[in-house]
Amino acid sequence: MRTIDVDARRYAWCRSRALWIIGMPVRSFIEDIYGAQQAGQENLVHFTARRIGEACAVALNVAVNYARPIPSPAMRGSWALEQLQGHELCQPCWELIRGIDAPADEIVKRCDSLTTRVYEIVGEMPNILTPDGYFPAIAMARDWIKLLDAVGEEAPMPYNWTLPT
Amino acid sequence: MAKNTKAIKDLGQCVERFHHGVSLEQILGEVEYLRDEGDTVIAGGSLVYGFGNHLSDLDLVITGPTTIESSRVPIEHFIGSLRVDVWKLALGLVEDSFDRAERALADDQALLGSFGDMEHDDELKLLHRIAFGIVVDGDGIESQGRDYCTVASALVVREYIERMRTSALLAQLALRAGRAVAAVVNARLTVEDALNAAVAYQGLPFSGGKWLGERLANQASDLAPVYEPFRQLPETPHQEATQFVQGVLATCVEMWGLDLGIDALVSSANWTNADLRVAEIGADRLLLSPGFGALWSLDEKEIKIWHQLVSAGTRKTDAIWDLSACDAEALSMCLCLHEHGLVDLRWTKGVVIDDLRPSLDAGAMI
Repeated sequence: MRTIDVDARRYAWCRSRALWIIGMPVRSFIEDIYGAQQAGQENLVHFTARRIGEACAVALNVAVNYARPIPSPAMRGSWALEQLQGHELCQPCWELIRGIDAPADEIVKRCDSLTTRVYEIVGEMPNILTPDGYFPAIAMARDWIKLLDAVGEEAPMPYNWTLPT
Repeated sequence: MAKNTKAIKDLGQCVERFHHGVSLEQILGEVEYLRDEGDTVIAGGSLVYGFGNHLSDLDLVITGPTTIESSRVPIEHFIGSLRVDVWKLALGLVEDSFDRAERALADDQALLGSFGDMEHDDELKLLHRIAFGIVVDGDGIESQGRDYCTVASALVVREYIERMRTSALLAQLALRAGRAVAAVVNARLTVEDALNAAVAYQGLPFSGGKWLGERLANQASDLAPVYEPFRQLPETPHQEATQFVQGVLATCVEMWGLDLGIDALVSSANWTNADLRVAEIGADRLLLSPGFGALWSLDEKEIKIWHQLVSAGTRKTDAIWDLSACDAEALSMCLCLHEHGLVDLRWTKGVVIDDLRPSLDAGAMI
């Protein structure tokens, strides 16, 4: 048996949120960036890459440092970057947040590489944006809600998205 | 709003081209089960407004005067490679949203975030789907004596101008507090907020801030040069933040004629503290958030500032601190607390559109 070195409330809150960030918004940003790349929408590629960099930084900070609460959207990028100083993924996150002058293909590659590494650290959720992943993702959300309920914490995902127990 | 045959045909071709033969008829068949008698189906979003791509979803609103059940949560459908999100709403709820929008626009109270936050913009997009969407099936809907497009556009202008004001204040406070990355991030948001407001001011439909760059490239190209200097953040924020923030502020003031100087802004802003308190344990002083089960240690200087803040709580509760009553150190500490998600920024007044003095850069009148 391995001890989880953080109290149950903080573990459930932080891990569920980190997973939700990369499982929902980041999935949707990845979909956006591929659509934009293939349609030649370079401005959308740049904008979405920023969002991916910021969301990955926040998810990492929450998962790795058990940082809570998550600040307002305008402040969370700088908040996460500061606390990730020294982490190997801090610089890749900052470069995406700052904005990269590079061809769309190169930007998409960097986003793919970053998100793959973040998935390895935070964990992965079935892709809620696809027919195959929709119900498995909701089932996983339900499992997290049960744990969050058990420790008296609110869930990051809408309660009415999950199936009744 | 009634059927526009050409717009329906264009949308049908767009969907068929992007989604390998999926037709509007097929889509209508899939969502038929959601329709009550008299319901109209309205399509909106990026595919309808002409800047979507083959991975864009299609947004539908099903509404009517005798709609039985409503849900604010979109119901997802997958048809071939196309995802269709459906909002099923009684027309009364739609009208309620427009009523609320008109009241908010006529009021000088801040409306920031009331119709969707920075992450989702949910209600703003919904109102634009109704106003600028196309009727793909049904008899259309009768507005109750209002111009949906004017209200929806004005609402986005007002929301984004108030966001611009917030971003401008945070950029300047962060600069003063030595938080260079927060300063430049918020400065870029300031100019993006100003430009999103300008795009809506030109009467273009809104489908979320993420499309700003594409709008500037294709539909509002007169505004593109305004954005270019600020699209990328400085490489070394600690050295370049001041210049970057000042450049953004000058640009936005020129665009909208709103005083974005820190002294003007702090007069109508305050910090709200939900549950922070200081716990004294022997000689130690800990900042405690019971709600988040979180603790921070404070040094003597920070404790002194904290006590000043609490004792200067000038409103009904010591949990609301006027920014104008804060000295530089207190402002910096509050900014730091805000950056940690521990205090919120609130406005005592909104920005009424009629009080703005937009330059030509802001575009044509809506």
